[in-house]
Amino acid sequence: MVRPARMSSGREDLDRLIVAIAVDRDREAFAALFAHFAPRLKAYLMRSGATDAAAEEFAQDAMLTVWRKADLFDGARAGAATWIFTIARNRRLDALRREARAPQLELAPRPEDPERPDQLLEGAEDAERVRHAMKSLNPDQAEVLRLSFFLDQPHSEIAERLGLPLGTVKSRIRKAMIKLRVILQPSSGEGLA
Amino acid sequence: MTLRHSPSEERLLAYVAGTLSPPEAVVVATHLAMRPDADRWVKRLQQVGGQVLDDLEPASMGGDALSRTLARIDVDAGEAVAPPPLNDMPELPEPLRRLPLGKWRWAGPGVEVRHIEAPREGATRLILLRIAPGQSTPKHTHEGAELTCVISGAYATDEVRYEAGDFEEADEDVLHQPRVVSKEPCLCVAALDGEIQLGGWMRVFQPFVKL
Repeated sequence: MVRPARMSSGREDLDRLIVAIAVDRDREAFAALFAHFAPRLKAYLMRSGATDAAAEEFAQDAMLTVWRKADLFDGARAGAATWIFTIARNRRLDALRREARAPQLELAPRPEDPERPDQLLEGAEDAERVRHAMKSLNPDQAEVLRLSFFLDQPHSEIAERLGLPLGTVKSRIRKAMIKLRVILQPSSGEGLA
Repeated sequence: MTLRHSPSEERLLAYVAGTLSPPEAVVVATHLAMRPDADRWVKRLQQVGGQVLDDLEPASMGGDALSRTLARIDVDAGEAVAPPPLNDMPELPEPLRRLPLGKWRWAGPGVEVRHIEAPREGATRLILLRIAPGQSTPKHTHEGAELTCVISGAYATDEVRYEAGDFEEADEDVLHQPRVVSKEPCLCVAALDGEIQLGGWMRVFQPFVKL
């Protein structure tokens, strides 16, 4: 068994590992990053209903993509966890729905995209705000929000899993989103969709 | 409350979680490419996703997982993946200009469509629609939902005007007949789910109009 990753790793440390992979093709850095994220990527896919073997394969595939695309990582834009989450999400979209002939669907930003100045200020320091915002949700809201990230048919599957009426699930998600908007986007009046 | 021509929070969350069908995801991505505010919010939601991933109780990996992954790195030499080439409409927003496009086809008076190749899911498909000034699309209903993002020009339905970057979600209950209100043609990307049913006299075109 690979040793479970240490529970509390510094965000910047994880960011630095990706940079070391990009710049030096550093395999020790990759091993350390793998130890932290591969077990979480596997857990992520198992939560969405995959078998142990499929989830293991998925985690390895996603980490291989991390190696290949490490030079696209920009810690000023998104921390390691966010970046790896988007890679996992694209891979999942791909794996579940790929048609043999269809081109790979790539929705992540490309390095040649001009960086908007307002984006440069965001990123790493926001991670702290996001953690804070998620802690502010009550446990019921946090649970449905977390499940929304794993399940393919979030509303009906969450309702089934938690034994709740569909309407309750929808209103909990909506309340969680409004709360996140209020905390994470205080200057904007966009919370009323 | 003003009507916002943006995806609902649920749809944005599904986009971030990767649970939209690929055609729907491309329409949302087009909207985000044209609306920095919405794009910023989605980036926040991606951070929430990163946090959710990081908070997960780690699953135990097989003992050879790392060595197998490193062996695969050796095989492909870790080459970075080159982005796909641009298609023949480089003026399109980023999510669209690298997807292969079909030929423009006639789809009614003043209306042209071309297919966009995105991975398919079920009956959901992705098209570009170009409609001449003053023209309407054929009056139609859908069996499923229709997501649209305006790329250039503007159209209006009964009371609502949609301009570049605006996002519209029409469901099966809506008899939908947008009319182009800009001086230039209106170019849209749309994800269609289910069959389009033409209404009124346009029904005679039904056999020919394969949207």
